[in-house]
Amino acid sequence: MKKRNLAAYFGKKIFVFFLSVLLLSIAVFYISRLAPGDPLVSYYGDRVEKMTPEEREWAEGKLGLNDPITVQYIRWLDSAFHGDFGISYKYKMDVVEVIGSRIGNTLILGGVGFLLIFVASMLLGVLCAWHEDRLLDRVICKIGTISSCVPEFWLSLVLILIFSVTLRWLPSSGAYSIGKSGDIGDRIAHLILPLTVVVLGHLWYYAYMIRNKILEEVRADYVLLAKAKGLTKRSVMFRHCLRNVIPSYLSIMAIAVPHILGGTYVVETVFSYPGIGTLSYESARYQDYNLLMLLCLLSGILVILCNIIAQIINEQIDPRIKAQDAAETLEVGEP
Amino acid sequence: MSELLEVKNLSVSFFTPDGEVQAVRDVSFSLKAGEVLAIVGESGCGKSVLCKSILKLLPQTAKIKSGSIAVNGTDITHYRERDMHKLRGKLFSMVFQDPMTSLNPTMAIGAQIGEAVRAHQVNIGRDALRARVIELMSLVGIERSEERMKLYPYNFSGGMRQRAVMAIALAGNPSILFADEPTTALDVTIQAQILDLLRDIQQKLGTATVFVTHDLGVVARVADRVAVMYAGKIVETGTAEEIFYDPRHPYTWGLLRALPALSRGRDSLAAIPGMPPTLVNPPRGDAFACRNEYALAIDYEEEPPMFQITDTHYAATWLLDERAPHIELPAGGGLGGK
Amino acid sequence: MGNEILLDVQHLTHVFPLTKKIAVKAVDNISFQIVRGEIFGLVGESGSGKSTIARCVMNLYQPRNGQILYKGLDTCDPWVFRENRRMLQTTRQMIFQDSNSSLDQRMKVADIIAEPMKIQHITPPRGTCRAEAEFQMKYVGLDASYLDKYPSELSGGQRQRVAIARALAMEPELLVADEPIASLDVSIQAQIVNLFKHLQQEHGFSFLFIAHDLAMVEFLCNRVGVMYHGRLVETAPTKELFANPLHPYTKALLSAIPIPDPRRERARKLAEFRREDFLPVGELTEVSPGHFVLRNGREIS
Repeated sequence: MKKRNLAAYFGKKIFVFFLSVLLLSIAVFYISRLAPGDPLVSYYGDRVEKMTPEEREWAEGKLGLNDPITVQYIRWLDSAFHGDFGISYKYKMDVVEVIGSRIGNTLILGGVGFLLIFVASMLLGVLCAWHEDRLLDRVICKIGTISSCVPEFWLSLVLILIFSVTLRWLPSSGAYSIGKSGDIGDRIAHLILPLTVVVLGHLWYYAYMIRNKILEEVRADYVLLAKAKGLTKRSVMFRHCLRNVIPSYLSIMAIAVPHILGGTYVVETVFSYPGIGTLSYESARYQDYNLLMLLCLLSGILVILCNIIAQIINEQIDPRIKAQDAAETLEVGEP
Repeated sequence: MSELLEVKNLSVSFFTPDGEVQAVRDVSFSLKAGEVLAIVGESGCGKSVLCKSILKLLPQTAKIKSGSIAVNGTDITHYRERDMHKLRGKLFSMVFQDPMTSLNPTMAIGAQIGEAVRAHQVNIGRDALRARVIELMSLVGIERSEERMKLYPYNFSGGMRQRAVMAIALAGNPSILFADEPTTALDVTIQAQILDLLRDIQQKLGTATVFVTHDLGVVARVADRVAVMYAGKIVETGTAEEIFYDPRHPYTWGLLRALPALSRGRDSLAAIPGMPPTLVNPPRGDAFACRNEYALAIDYEEEPPMFQITDTHYAATWLLDERAPHIELPAGGGLGGK
Repeated sequence: MGNEILLDVQHLTHVFPLTKKIAVKAVDNISFQIVRGEIFGLVGESGSGKSTIARCVMNLYQPRNGQILYKGLDTCDPWVFRENRRMLQTTRQMIFQDSNSSLDQRMKVADIIAEPMKIQHITPPRGTCRAEAEFQMKYVGLDASYLDKYPSELSGGQRQRVAIARALAMEPELLVADEPIASLDVSIQAQIVNLFKHLQQEHGFSFLFIAHDLAMVEFLCNRVGVMYHGRLVETAPTKELFANPLHPYTKALLSAIPIPDPRRERARKLAEFRREDFLPVGELTEVSPGHFVLRNGREIS
């Protein structure tokens, strides 16, 4: 790519990014404000029922809820630019602090889950493609299909029942035992069950995709020539088919990041895992506007960012798309 | 001297959901070192399947039902994949039809040729490998090989790609080269270049070649011997001169007569009526009988055996039996050596 | 064959943009005519632009430059096209190379053949659409039992016959065929070419036959045009072209035709023609009656 194009290329992507985030913020703001429910409840709790209309008015004014929505949005946008995202009604703390204290847990759960899925689905996909249509492949496909249909909350409960209640091998909730927040071993013990659910929930989806992509390559004509050269099945599979599948795998995985990270919400709820999953649920349920806004923005930014990265990977790394720039490159016509 | 390649009574079938497709039925032929055999036939006659079954490159739905394949006296019919991949590229090698899709689009040409070299010389050093790749590229007529090694298939035209495919096929110095319609996808002006190149290399290296094609012009140019296939069987085999100037099987007559070159000035081409049969349930008797204007009653009952005409010329048609009526060779049925 | 010019292509140029900066001239300043009842063969190798011409003639592409006059009407002009839409859509028909993709796999053969009549709201001369389809099928040599089959159940040759039946159902005056036999078996090619010749004699339509198989073109066509890299390098009546080729590319092309005769084929030498020798400038000049060659004042002895 020419140098002067590089700036324009990335500039365009950055512009799209900011535009999308802005539009997202507007959408979330308006929809949350227009949804039914009373934000005062999260701030004041049960006392709200006993408030007189004047007290309500005063409370709303204090929280800035009296003004028209547009004014509220502009006010929010203004303070957001200064780094001030407001106060959580429920926790009565700075929203950033609230999220900050819990996001680490979700990142660990989601991050480790993502890495495991990344590696395991590729291995599983290759294994299935290698043994295509033989017993191993067919068994794995059937098991995989079933496992991807099992609801996460059901699986979580079953695992808790077996491993926590009956066998008492693993804890059933939380990120760490009381007083042991620094103990890695304890943390890992708490992670095992939720991690299993997260991984099992997504693994087959991606493994199956890889399996099919590899098989598509295996059926290509050039594989026949590669075999005719005398290459072993292993060389053909890894050096030719897998290599050609990797660019699209990377871009799929880029989109899998928000998919997997976002999918931890159900698991966190069942395991009472203190991550931002439970936080999101609460803030939506109880109209904790500021918290909700920041959470939505964070996930939205993650999704948009991953999409853009996937686009970039697709455009740059896949040599077949590069080949379409061949018009600018030389053509060898005659000896 | 034992033959280089000896195929005896080979039958290959595909087991599909629609039933068993008998793609190759009781085929026997042999190949001597250094000679060029052309297998001619239309699509569906089994010629590609025949070659792929010798190299064991068939999909899993295909099975060798019976017969034997022997190379240099060794029977390789029941070789498994781990033994076959040692032979491929070294003992025999194959060039395919469509150079656009035969090459991996994401790998440089030099790398793909190098891979073929390294498949059989595992411990070759980097410099020796590079030298060999350049040597191969020059052999097939790709000039300026040092700079072109790094290019990708999409930088090359069809003819040049096919040369690269040939370089890959020759990397292991194979004794037998199978070429499956190598020029069909190429322009006619490039076709002759590639054919002449193949012939040159074949003579230089002494490689025996099996040429699969439907184009009789190609056969005329390169073949020493010809085998004509129809519906999974070889119906006639002989030297190129015998087949073109003295064909004996009605299908060969039909193929030659259908060429437009022989119908100049006429109102219509002498086309063979009807269509080749599907091989799911091959008909009893001679499969060509229903399209054969010279068919005898026995053609519908019993398959004809191979009748010998000369030492090298054989045809499987009941017309050669002593009891058959004498047929006047149709005008244009053989070129008569004009 | 009368003398009325049915199709008059004048200085046709069409360009395909590859990137914002680079464009490929697929067809460059092409001019030729087809007389009523004539079979005109357009030959050339891959990339020469023959398919592009076919599609421009059928209004599938809007050419960058030039005029295509059909019965005197400029079909590239959108207003003219709109006014004469019905006539243009019924009297000109096209047959493509790949019968697999040019027939709708989900329609039965009877529906495929009857579709043009339904679209144009024409009452079929044989009563119902189905009767008409049956009639057309018989004409192209297909049994009525194929009426209810789907294209995937037919062989390549049979599918191509269905495509021909579909085109002929409209009784066209101009038939454009873009490599209609290239993907067929040799013995089936002969059958289809015979069919073309026979149908053309019966119906009397003009035929633009695009191919790369010179031997078939020699057999079928009255006049031949040779294309190279988007330019028409030579045009002549068939016998004249094959007996007396003038342009170096035509000579090279004709010398490359394989001869199915071992002795002659092995003695055959190819005429040399290199791409560098070709200059895409100049005009077609008439060298002898009906025989046009591309001259640019530099070559041709």
